[in-house]
Amino acid sequence: MTRPILLTMAAAGILAAGQDDSFLIRGATIHPVSGPAVENASLLVLDGKIAEIGLKIQNKAAQGKNKIRIVEAKGLHVYPGFIDSGSPVGLQEVSSVRETIDTGELGMFNPQLKAISAVNPESEHIPVIRGNGTTMVQILPGVAGGQGQTGIIGGQASIIRLSGYTWEEMLAVPYTALQAVWPVPSQGGRGGFDPSMLVPGARRQSSFSQANRAKEENIQKLTEFIEQARRYQAAKKAGPVPADRKFEAMLPVLEGVKPLLVEAARERAIREAVEWSEKQKIRIILTGVTRPGKMIEELGKKRIPVILGSPYSIRMEEDDPYDDPFTLPARLHQAGVEFAFASFGLQFARNLPFQAGQAVAFGLPYDAALKSITMTPARIWGLADSHGSIEPGKVADLILTDGDPLEPRSSVKMMFIQGREVDLESRHTRLYRKYMDRP
Amino acid sequence: MLFNLRSAATLFCAAALAAQAEVPSLVAIRDARVVPVKGSVMEKATVVIRDGLIADVGPSASPPAGAFVIDGTGLTIYPGLIDAYSTWGIPQATAAAPTATGRGGGGTQAILSALQTGQQAPRSQGPEDRPGTNTWVRAADLVRPSDTRLEAARSSGFTTAMTFPRGGLIGGHGAAVNLAGATGGAMVVEPSIGLQMTFTPGGYSGFPNTQMGILSYFRQLWLDAAHYAQAKSAYAANASGIRRPDYDRALEHLAGYPRVLLPAPNPIQLERVLKLAGDLKATPVFYGVQEGYRMAPVLKQANAAVILNSRWPARERDSDPEQQDSLRTLEMRDMAPQSPKILAAAGVPFAMSSEGAGAPRDIIRALKKSIDLGLSKEDALKSITLTPAEIFGLAAKLGSIEPGKIANLAVMDGDLFDDRTKVRMLFIDGVKYVPAPQAPQMPGGPGPGGPPGGQRPGSQTGETDEEIIR
Repeated sequence: MTRPILLTMAAAGILAAGQDDSFLIRGATIHPVSGPAVENASLLVLDGKIAEIGLKIQNKAAQGKNKIRIVEAKGLHVYPGFIDSGSPVGLQEVSSVRETIDTGELGMFNPQLKAISAVNPESEHIPVIRGNGTTMVQILPGVAGGQGQTGIIGGQASIIRLSGYTWEEMLAVPYTALQAVWPVPSQGGRGGFDPSMLVPGARRQSSFSQANRAKEENIQKLTEFIEQARRYQAAKKAGPVPADRKFEAMLPVLEGVKPLLVEAARERAIREAVEWSEKQKIRIILTGVTRPGKMIEELGKKRIPVILGSPYSIRMEEDDPYDDPFTLPARLHQAGVEFAFASFGLQFARNLPFQAGQAVAFGLPYDAALKSITMTPARIWGLADSHGSIEPGKVADLILTDGDPLEPRSSVKMMFIQGREVDLESRHTRLYRKYMDRP
Repeated sequence: MLFNLRSAATLFCAAALAAQAEVPSLVAIRDARVVPVKGSVMEKATVVIRDGLIADVGPSASPPAGAFVIDGTGLTIYPGLIDAYSTWGIPQATAAAPTATGRGGGGTQAILSALQTGQQAPRSQGPEDRPGTNTWVRAADLVRPSDTRLEAARSSGFTTAMTFPRGGLIGGHGAAVNLAGATGGAMVVEPSIGLQMTFTPGGYSGFPNTQMGILSYFRQLWLDAAHYAQAKSAYAANASGIRRPDYDRALEHLAGYPRVLLPAPNPIQLERVLKLAGDLKATPVFYGVQEGYRMAPVLKQANAAVILNSRWPARERDSDPEQQDSLRTLEMRDMAPQSPKILAAAGVPFAMSSEGAGAPRDIIRALKKSIDLGLSKEDALKSITLTPAEIFGLAAKLGSIEPGKIANLAVMDGDLFDDRTKVRMLFIDGVKYVPAPQAPQMPGGPGPGGPPGGQRPGSQTGETDEEIIR
């Protein structure tokens, strides 16, 4: 364990040297995302915030600061840092080692759990993820169920910046949404006909009616839980009640302040979740949407945001088009559905910008793709005033690249989080150098 | 049992099971329509049964003096129907005790586990543990006239079954059995017709648990058996100075099988087991065939016979209404019932089995569907009479109405493939049986293939129509 610690000390060295969070980038192509790119422009950051963008900087304060750092960025491109709308980073380290997994508490309803409370700032994944331009991640507590129960509400998602010694320093938003999974009928087994299999396993564990009954029961339990929380809310208004962390955590959801981040992959689950949320007057954001079918138009009309996972997957049904997962972003865009990308992963979270790039290759307009990892998630998670684009007054979460960051061949040359430069060293770069140097 | 008291046959059938000695040994059915399967249909002919065998048949045959004569006017005589891959005759454990894996065939497996040394699931480390290798189990030793399923089988016109013990990788030796008899022994037509093999691990835990493991195990087992036989004969020739070879129950009984029964649900598996049979130097018969419509050329080239499951794949009854079936699945449902027609056109011998059937009658219904899709009635009838007899080398005894063959006959009041047709009487080894007026349900659940979309009594698991064969 000495090596990671040494590295962190090295990274810390840069920050701890009292380096200013003010600087001037010169000669770069600036991509504000909120507007068209400006070539050969300058960008002034003062005290961690974007102060000015333009061909010539007017700011007197900057001119007065004679020791302001100048970043010569000729040939480089400046983008806002990317936002990953869902990942277990910081809560998981090695997926096959139980001790390093902190997601997925047991139980049906765990709204009181806070993802931020378990973040490991030393995670080796964090520098790796930064390497391709991600500066912020919504961390998910996970939904597990267990002991014969179906997990429904997993806990509170939080947003962290990928820089800081402690979780407090990393914390951007403690409670963005409540992570939930919409119950689906699960028959077990593989089902269908797989003639190549002669060994057991294909057989369904239960009939569809049984599975569907279990699903209805689970939805009923969710509704009852919401009703209990409403009674708690009413009782609390009337007078003092014994505090209950579960119901306390539900209050922002009942008040419409926080959304329910509901996982629903297929059309039926999406329809049920949407109808249920309308009846319950609960704001939802859908996640894990893979095969929305006719619900695409509904989601556009009802303005329900969607969090998309990795498009690097095969189609859900045998006869779906081969590119069904690849074209989903374009189809959502066409229907006017607001969506953001999430990696939903750990070691592959670094591919977030390429997820958006893949969607461009399959019909999504480039601007929409870039927004889906910058402005759109910032808006969905209530950070529109401070993040997601390069505009005066916003937090200076920036990346400098040598090309289009949605292209795997481009590399991120510099990164700033809250105006402070972040080391782009990671386990990958260390190993790269180690083996390049091998005699 | 309920018998039709108005029937002229009351005298004989009442005594049928209890005392065969009272049955007249000479019976003639005259003026009946006779479908001999081999040879052309005779519209008005007489069949003479003597001492359990067919003595004479034809339009000019006449009832011998002293024969008990039955008026066959309006009746059609078929050879007794044969189930080519069955468990009929082997009593199934009551309440169909579900196996550990929840899969079918619990009955036979329960019997087998009783036969085994008490251990429920012995741990297998390798081939030397002979996992699930029940070569010493013989259907001929297990069949009983008391099997509660026999009445239903007879009521549908079945007189004979190629019955195989199930459980483990090698279930044991199958037997050709008649579906009635005074004793189990009297039911047996041929005690050793083939070795039943599967690719479904069962009756042990551990090795082998994969397709490649099982393929490798079978090859090793045959090598071991060859060495065992050599060592034994060397020892028998001269025991002096040679350590005696250890007795091995599994290898001791891995002999005397005229053929091996191997599962071949689809072409890929067919190629695998075909090669395996070649390596084992055994004559293969393929059962559990689901995609026969894609297998005709390979089967023709290999000169091999197949036994089809008699439940054509269909959508599960209790399935997700929003589930979309893949084109591959739809094609399979569409084409599987055409398998008989396609195999017949290619000249591949095929037989039907109760595997997958809910009730014995379902075998005939499955064939009727294939007839509607273009299979000739003659080929359909052959697949449950002469072809299974030929596949198992019993064509001299069973499968057609010819003098000298066993008097297994199904006498019906119409065409076999007409759903309204009823079995009026049966002759098994020349003994007359009259089915109960109401065809009984198959008690204790259907064969190992499971009921169509239904649920096995005492089982928590639903059945899928598109179940994989065992």
